[in-house]
Amino acid sequence: MNGLVEKKIKRYENLLGEIWTASEKYLGTFSVKLLVERVVWDLSQEYREIELLHFDESGISCAEIAASMKKNPELSVDDMFMKFIARYVEILARLIGHEKTEKIAKKLNKEFGNIPFNSKEE
Amino acid sequence: MPASLLLSVSLKYWQDFQDTLAKVMDANIYIFDINGGSFSRFSREVELCRKVNEGGKICNEKCIRFYKDIFGSLEDKGTFTCPYGMRLYAYRLGTYAQNIGFLIIAPTRISPRVDSEEENTFVTKAHSIYQTINEVLKAILEKSLLGLRRLELGSIYEISRLLTSTVELDKVMDLITNSLIIIYKAELAFVGLHEGGKIRIAQAKGDYGHLLIGKQWPMAQPLMEKFFSKVEPSFLSIDELRTLPGLADLKVDSANKIMFYPLWSSVGAVGLLGIVFSPESIDDSAARNLQIYANFAAIALANAKLVSRLEREAETDFLTGFFNKRALRNILANELERKIRYGTPLAVIFLDIDNFKCYNDTFGHVAGDVVLQKTAEIIKNSIRTVDIAGRYGGEEFVIILPGTKEEGAVAVAERIRKSIETYPFPHCKVTASLGIALAKNSDSVDSLLKRADQSLYQAKKQGKNHFCLAPS
Repeated sequence: MNGLVEKKIKRYENLLGEIWTASEKYLGTFSVKLLVERVVWDLSQEYREIELLHFDESGISCAEIAASMKKNPELSVDDMFMKFIARYVEILARLIGHEKTEKIAKKLNKEFGNIPFNSKEE
Repeated sequence: MPASLLLSVSLKYWQDFQDTLAKVMDANIYIFDINGGSFSRFSREVELCRKVNEGGKICNEKCIRFYKDIFGSLEDKGTFTCPYGMRLYAYRLGTYAQNIGFLIIAPTRISPRVDSEEENTFVTKAHSIYQTINEVLKAILEKSLLGLRRLELGSIYEISRLLTSTVELDKVMDLITNSLIIIYKAELAFVGLHEGGKIRIAQAKGDYGHLLIGKQWPMAQPLMEKFFSKVEPSFLSIDELRTLPGLADLKVDSANKIMFYPLWSSVGAVGLLGIVFSPESIDDSAARNLQIYANFAAIALANAKLVSRLEREAETDFLTGFFNKRALRNILANELERKIRYGTPLAVIFLDIDNFKCYNDTFGHVAGDVVLQKTAEIIKNSIRTVDIAGRYGGEEFVIILPGTKEEGAVAVAERIRKSIETYPFPHCKVTASLGIALAKNSDSVDSLLKRADQSLYQAKKQGKNHFCLAPS
């Protein structure tokens, strides 16, 4: 695995961590965990590697996904994480409303650039 | 097992598996979903098929019609000849109870003449392929369902944990509505509380949840009467939903289902759980689990009602309906804090009914109780709604006057004294003595009450039926 992919995964790890923290403020830890679990379950039909995403009260880790890239370098990391975020945001918007979701998106877009944060459609 | 589950099988991984199996078995394999639409591509290259169906998927009009026809009549399995002369074997996938799609197995070569031995060999081969594919598909779907059940169990466990640890109604309602949205992708989930002959929507999540919060539906409303005439949940049409007060303009996808669970507990109807969802997101098993969420919501609401009643009773004096000593001291502590923080004045009046012991001994405890109740009523009618009155013990009352200076406190004390003096109590005239203290920043609850009590003592010393102000 080249350093570029490693960097990319680290960036997604940071982004997911920020999304977790921002959602936790509105939903509480348990619901955020349930939401992440739901999206992982959903997406694992398409990308088995997403099951390697580790998350608990202390945060989100993509270390195992990064390690799996050595065995499966063809995995489309961008597609997988983009779909993850899109599905997460779709449900998040139902829970906290589009207005608050957009607020989170605005803040994260400033930090991470363009992410699929359209809460009104997947 | 929802029919659409075939769609949740990853096509990418499935195609790899199907192609490998087809190669090993030297047969062409492809799968259709329950509606007769292509799910996977041809596994092997068959010249004829490739000619009429470009891209490995069925797209030729004749072929599409042919497959729709055979799937419509297929019971379990069957042998057919396609419009272009290809012999193929069709199987129904899933269980007897639930069809999840169709499997087609065809030879990779078209032979003009096939002898019976060759045909028998291929039938056996096709049957083995069918069994393998059906078992693998069932296993994938079961695994997928188990994942969903695990999510359900996790949230049910957390809700039950909250219920047993403490009564946190808001948290429980929040968790229930969140879980329904997250797990079942419900469009809307809400909980209503039964209060004073109405259902008040206390928590609502989903696309238009904010439109529901605070809405009140009378229990006498025909739809409410229908829900609460039974213990089972009710299905609603969108038009029925719109007859509820405040929901006339609600926009709900017409394909969605609407379900209302009446929440019952041992104390009667405690509320309502409502959910709006797309039909494919909830199967029979999920519907059973929804009943568990409804049961938990009912327990949480019943507990909360009970605790709120106990809390009310724990701070109320049974005889007068006033706050009791404990509640008064807590309130006074808060008012003292507020006084220090905002610099607003605060006055306290200590009241004692004169010669009450004598009245009680002469006319009996029942008559004594009437005096206490009437005195409480007089106090209540002599103060503002922001003032707080309570029975401190025996025949003693305390009145807390937030934002009140000396003049105001004196006026209240005199008003109460005069009202008691002139009230026609049974048996004989009743009077009261009062002590006033104005709070200082250095005051504690005890020091403030002590000064008010000392003033009361002064008033008694001056011959009773008086009020005295504590020196500042």
